[in-house]
Amino acid sequence: MPLLTVRNLIMTYEGRNALDGVDFDLAEGELKVVMGPSGSGKSTLLRCLNRLATPTSGQVIFQGEDILRPDTDVRALRQRIGFVFQHFALYRHLTALQNVTLGLRKLRGMSAAEADERARQELRRMNMVEHERKYPSQLSGGQKQRVAIARALAMDPAVLFFDEPTSALDPLMAREVVNILQQLRRDGVSMLCVTHDLYLARAVGGRLLFLDQGRILLEGNAEDLFGEHADPRVRAFFRQEREERAPTEAAP
Amino acid sequence: MDFLQILALLFKGTGYTLMVTVACSATGMVVGLAIAMLYRLDWRPLQPLLRTFTYVFRGLPVLVLLFIVFFGLPNLGLRVPPLVSMMLSLGVIAGAYLGEVFRGAFDSVDRNEVLAAEAMGMSRLQVLLHIELPQMLRFAVPGMINEFTTVLKYSPFAYTVGIPDVMKEAMALSAATLRGVEIYLGVGLLYFAIYKILVSAVWALEKRYRVPGLTGH
Repeated sequence: MPLLTVRNLIMTYEGRNALDGVDFDLAEGELKVVMGPSGSGKSTLLRCLNRLATPTSGQVIFQGEDILRPDTDVRALRQRIGFVFQHFALYRHLTALQNVTLGLRKLRGMSAAEADERARQELRRMNMVEHERKYPSQLSGGQKQRVAIARALAMDPAVLFFDEPTSALDPLMAREVVNILQQLRRDGVSMLCVTHDLYLARAVGGRLLFLDQGRILLEGNAEDLFGEHADPRVRAFFRQEREERAPTEAAP
Repeated sequence: MDFLQILALLFKGTGYTLMVTVACSATGMVVGLAIAMLYRLDWRPLQPLLRTFTYVFRGLPVLVLLFIVFFGLPNLGLRVPPLVSMMLSLGVIAGAYLGEVFRGAFDSVDRNEVLAAEAMGMSRLQVLLHIELPQMLRFAVPGMINEFTTVLKYSPFAYTVGIPDVMKEAMALSAATLRGVEIYLGVGLLYFAIYKILVSAVWALEKRYRVPGLTGH
């Protein structure tokens, strides 16, 4: 049984279908990358899956549970899903360590000492333990994103969602994040990643979903979609992205 | 009697001035925080009430409200002690203003951080207490200092309800010695000293809890 099953998911927003019947599965330990043009509904999809947004209709089964039922414990659901944002969204008044421990203390009820220990494990995994006393403003973009990933991992989520994790980063820092995604994939972490970043999509090597106008137009391996694809919309998207990215992609 | 002696005599009232200022500022903080947090929780039925409260208490002159509480309520059989009268008038009015200061400061909290906290599974109240409130208080420091200063400068109204503050001492002294210029100059200096001490204390507190890169000060 897949970890996550999405069937005919529809989200109507201001009279228009932001999601127009999305279907896909995510297996345990799998990484799927969702790509598509701006406004194709990528971020809305993630937000519907952890109920930050409420879909209009459809079915989402997460760990065997229909999470769109009205009696779903939304807060408990969200604690099982780690969410990493484009703009990091670190709590600016807390140090790196405190950013990771806050959820452990307030949501898991850990003591300060337990939470610190657990948080340091994840910060060490992200190579950030020596920066644990720094505030977000004292970290680089790549470092912030690593703290944000540690913060999500510390809660032992069943799946990690990434919402454009590299698009606020310069290419070098984006690469840092891609390396982490690769590492997590080897560790068998289930992940769903929404992105614009062709380099990321190709480097992490998961299954690719191409979302266009609220529908999954096709699903395939990265290599199939990057080639000369039969569908003109797919071809146009990947060609255009390639041209936009060309200057930054030139370096090995 | 030289100027230093005048200052020494006036100094007797300083404790009361400080007491009134601190008590009314504290009342204002409690009222202002309550208003701003209830606003922030966006609980619909309460919104018109909060708006009316702010509207009324920002519009009322301090002295009028003070007299209503201190001289008016006893007619209804409710005797209010002088300091409490000050807190219920000056303090509550300061609260209405501070509520607006806090409301603006809450708006400076990054929405993405609120979203991240919600995505983590925190309740609305947890987000408010652990993410929004600690940041908001830091953003609000300049506005708070403004309001505390206003409270200090309205505190002389305390003499009208019989609190022997600096102003009360000055009036008694001036009546006895007829040296109004020096006495009121002394009063001005004392108020300035209190102002300076209060502001320094707040900034020292701010510095203790300052987070690099969060605020511009």
